[in-house]
Amino acid sequence: MRQRRLSRFLGPIRESTGVSRWIFWIGVAIVAFFVILAVFAPLLAPYGFDQVSADGVRFPKQGSPDGTHPFGTTVGNYDVLSRVIWGARTAIEVVVLAVVFSLVIGVPLGLFSGYVGGRADRVLVLIMDALFAFPYILLAIVIAFLLSDKLGQGVVTAAIAITAVYVPQYFRVVRNHVISVREEPYVDAARALGAPRRTIVSRYVLQNVIQSVPALATLNAADAILTLAALGFLGYGIQPTDAAEWGYDLQRAIDDAGAGIWWTGLYPGLAIVLLVTGFTLLGEGLNDVINPLIRARSTAKPEIEEQPGGEGEAAILSMDPPRGGEEPRGP
Amino acid sequence: MKESSGSSGLRTYVLTRLGLALPTVLILLTVVFLLMRVAPGDPITAALGARLPAKELEKRKKEAGYDKPILQQYGEYLGQVVTLDLGESVTDNRSVTSILAENGTATLELTLAAFTVTLLVGIPLGLLAGRYRDGPWDVGGRLYGIVIYAFPVFFLGFLFQLLASEVGWPTSGRASPIVEFDLNKVTHFYLIDTLIQGDFNAFWDVLQHLFLPALVLGLTISGVLIRLIRVNLLQTMRGDYVEAARARGVSERRVVVNHAFRNAMVPVVTVAGLQFAILLGGAVLTEETFNWPGIGSELVRYLNQRDYVAVQGIVTVFAIAVVAVSLLIDLINAFIDPRVRYR
Amino acid sequence: MTKVRSLLVLGAMLAAALLVAACGSDSSSSDSGGTIIRGTTDQPISYDPAGAYDLPSYDGIYSMYQNLLTVEPGGNKAVPEAADSCDFTDKDNKVFECTLKSGLKFSDGSDLTAEDVVFSFERNVEIADPNGASSLLANMKSIEAKGDDTVVFNLKEPDATWPLLLTTASFAIVPSDVYPANKLQPSDQVVGSGRYTLADYQPGQQTVMEKNDSYQGADPAKNDRVIIQYFDKASALKLAVQNGDVDIAYRSLSPTDIDSLDGADGLSVISGNGTEIRYLVFNTKLQPGDNDAQKLAIRQAVAQTIDRQSIADNVYNGTVQPLYSMIPQGVEFANQGFSDKYGEAPDVNAAKQTLADAGVDTPVPLEVWWTPSHYGAASGDEYAEIKRQLDESGLFDVTLKSTEWNQYSTAAFTDKYPTYQLGWFPDYPDADDYTSPFYLPDSFLNIHYDNAEMNKLIGQEKSSDDPQVRQQAFDRIGEIGAEDAPTIPIWQADQVAAVRDGVHGVEETFDPSFIFRFWLISKDQ
Repeated sequence: MRQRRLSRFLGPIRESTGVSRWIFWIGVAIVAFFVILAVFAPLLAPYGFDQVSADGVRFPKQGSPDGTHPFGTTVGNYDVLSRVIWGARTAIEVVVLAVVFSLVIGVPLGLFSGYVGGRADRVLVLIMDALFAFPYILLAIVIAFLLSDKLGQGVVTAAIAITAVYVPQYFRVVRNHVISVREEPYVDAARALGAPRRTIVSRYVLQNVIQSVPALATLNAADAILTLAALGFLGYGIQPTDAAEWGYDLQRAIDDAGAGIWWTGLYPGLAIVLLVTGFTLLGEGLNDVINPLIRARSTAKPEIEEQPGGEGEAAILSMDPPRGGEEPRGP
Repeated sequence: MKESSGSSGLRTYVLTRLGLALPTVLILLTVVFLLMRVAPGDPITAALGARLPAKELEKRKKEAGYDKPILQQYGEYLGQVVTLDLGESVTDNRSVTSILAENGTATLELTLAAFTVTLLVGIPLGLLAGRYRDGPWDVGGRLYGIVIYAFPVFFLGFLFQLLASEVGWPTSGRASPIVEFDLNKVTHFYLIDTLIQGDFNAFWDVLQHLFLPALVLGLTISGVLIRLIRVNLLQTMRGDYVEAARARGVSERRVVVNHAFRNAMVPVVTVAGLQFAILLGGAVLTEETFNWPGIGSELVRYLNQRDYVAVQGIVTVFAIAVVAVSLLIDLINAFIDPRVRYR
Repeated sequence: MTKVRSLLVLGAMLAAALLVAACGSDSSSSDSGGTIIRGTTDQPISYDPAGAYDLPSYDGIYSMYQNLLTVEPGGNKAVPEAADSCDFTDKDNKVFECTLKSGLKFSDGSDLTAEDVVFSFERNVEIADPNGASSLLANMKSIEAKGDDTVVFNLKEPDATWPLLLTTASFAIVPSDVYPANKLQPSDQVVGSGRYTLADYQPGQQTVMEKNDSYQGADPAKNDRVIIQYFDKASALKLAVQNGDVDIAYRSLSPTDIDSLDGADGLSVISGNGTEIRYLVFNTKLQPGDNDAQKLAIRQAVAQTIDRQSIADNVYNGTVQPLYSMIPQGVEFANQGFSDKYGEAPDVNAAKQTLADAGVDTPVPLEVWWTPSHYGAASGDEYAEIKRQLDESGLFDVTLKSTEWNQYSTAAFTDKYPTYQLGWFPDYPDADDYTSPFYLPDSFLNIHYDNAEMNKLIGQEKSSDDPQVRQQAFDRIGEIGAEDAPTIPIWQADQVAAVRDGVHGVEETFDPSFIFRFWLISKDQ
């Protein structure tokens, strides 16, 4: 059973062609690279993320890159290379947590709302749509405020703050997908044959809907990294004494830019760009692979699907959406 | 869901859509109100905590009415919104209206300038990528789209600031202090105000200040636009009428320029409108990076000071704007493409 | 046709703009005359004295109004400004009488009289603005005018700090016929009798003040106009002064910025004595230790272990000074209680002994709180450094925790944090303002510290205006403060500004009073 599912998933990857395949595998490579950095950070990083001296010798303050510190040191005497590597661990931790939280909350909610329909559905849609229109960064900041007392300003707080931003997206995508699947002939048939509701939901609807989740999750992971960095940049994210975080390091580096100190900001910034690119490529690749409609010479779906003014579903199923629904997190 | 055709279908759609906008706004107002109240702290603690004894703080909070039942405060807030009275900020006694007029226009000016950059970069690259599918333009354009999207605006800003500090270009604010003072602010759009004044020195100064933030913000958004235009162009090129034109023997060049390009731009316009609304919200980070006195940086400042009134006012107007824009886009879509109405 | 024409016009305008720009884009700042531009990251709350209790508001208020008393540049004592003379007229120091100078005028032309003074104080108490400093007047029983030129304060308790308290900008004199008695005057409609009048105020952007020609005081402004430009970020402020967009960058440049500006072309970094302090607080109920003796030993051991010089050098690039007493140097009656008792350099062996004598098991687990959003980004580096120092001694095992300011400032004072970071900024530069807020049992710190002798000494210094009595009291307070160590002073900040060449007078205004005297500043033409 598991074997079959796996091959159902991997099959299209093998079959996919040209650019899509490349995009997918480059994405895999980049993400794998960062995952390795994250897992083996203690072994790979020359120093701890909050270490400012070794063998009794204090690191220089804002020292330029040299033999001992290939990426230089920061205003807090930290080793930039070590901070970048430990930052990978923080980023991956937060992203995994945030994605898991969002899935656990967003998917069941979307399934419920989409399948049950009716008044509950309408109310949920209304609330989620309203949250969608809310300035996302404000939402994340306030949630971070709320939790910082109970949980401190660490990884979990950041992950939950980010989750709050993404739940509406999962909800929308899953719900819309459920609604379209619900009307499919085979589901109708199953219903007509008297299959219990649970079976219909779990066997037909969920299995179908779940296919769109990996791509969405990967694309959202990319987004989540940007949001995490934005929180850090504004000073509401993970604090330096809790963990190394690229956005925070960039915030401190802005002060350095005017003094011509480039290394404190460049490397954490590049790390963000690289990892986000990796997740995006991976997500794009998955999209192409899982949703063959988009592949070359396929029949076109009605173009209106592609518009974010319409439904979020279109966004992830198409290769070139405004990301994850409606809100590009770029700025 | 099967509807009667034609204008009555459209009317129903418009009415439903309008009907939904109101509760959306109401929910937004409630969310911002609740978030501000459950967030720890209040304007008085934010300003005078660690300065006055707890008892004195309590007294002041009471005098300021922050200890009133939350429902009562909520009612008063809604009452204000209905009467379009957004109140005065608690911390520095500015009317929210003037915050919007001064800082809002700053954000709008930046947004418009950034959007110009987005269009200038996004349209040509998007069209080229779609026209020469799988060619170097396509691969390059898509790659650019993905990578530029991965750049946090503050990192791109950081890089540009490194360069700018070499050249000596301004990287903060809307204008030099003297220009700022001399400027007669009629529209609060500085580019326009300096022109009205006929002061080209000032105009240049303002333009210089605007350039970097607009470039950075515009570039980060351009990636999305490129991908949209590309996909739309690809879709239109497969459309029946393009096929028909081809069949009539119209040259490929004319097919592309006259038919495909133009049609590819139609959905772009509506998407652009939506991007525009998002651009406003995303301005927080750009403004923080470039010290731009817009609504986003004010929002963060007031949030830190727990200025309920200012935050609520700004978010309220912002939310209404977003809902209005998305409403507008849906309606435009409904006019353009009847299929939308039946969804 | 019209389209073509408008295009032509636009093109011509652009060309003209570029041409003019090519002739030098800095031409706009050379015609500024006697205009001083100061950039700052601090934003004012209100220019009505009754609504102000913050330094950036004070900067404007000191310039546009007069107080009865003020602090002279470089001094730390109260001297007359609008008053001709002020004194306690009774033995108990409970009746304080001021006579006004004659001929003082508000900028709207009306006379400044005793009635205006009484009005200013009474409305301050009446309004009791949430952002104001009316609580500092708690000791004022009543104020009355005697004739046109004399005011009398009746105090509830003897109060030797009263003269310095009157120098606070919150108690500047406003015109009674212009300002409302029960609400604040809008910040852009200021009327005062000071050296400047308000020309323009745009919150978040700039304040512009112009020289007040009807100012009647002794030392009118040496410049014609002052622009205060507000910046969100220190880095932007730094670039602005570097590029010459502002003449003075003051409050607050980051240590990195100061370092990189020091020695830069066309400007210099000026520093002077400052009286802003940072300290570490112990909640004597929540801190570790099985009994009072152990708790005391733990506090003392921390005081002995922290290396203040290292913090000042490594975290703040020498822009702050190690602090060995809650009363910073520069304030009258300052002392060195902590270094007298424990020495300046850290002494781990002594700390170990202290803990051993009290039977404390080491390492002592210590939960230390700090906040990233109120005391500057360098706080993170500072507390990382403190943790390292304490951990490396082998005597402590520190866990750092942080939270956002609003949460922090509520939780810290309601028995949530055993040990935490705090800063203090004087209401007025009297040693008592560094003593009674921390050491009295009803302190806002709420750390359950109560020492009978300390309480008595504070009563003494407060009620006596005899310098000798006060000196003795403060010396002993310093000793007890170091012995009990409920709070441990860490550093005091210098006032540091980056100033463009050709701008003079900034160094004269840096003193413990924190009055930024724009009027002393001049600029070469």
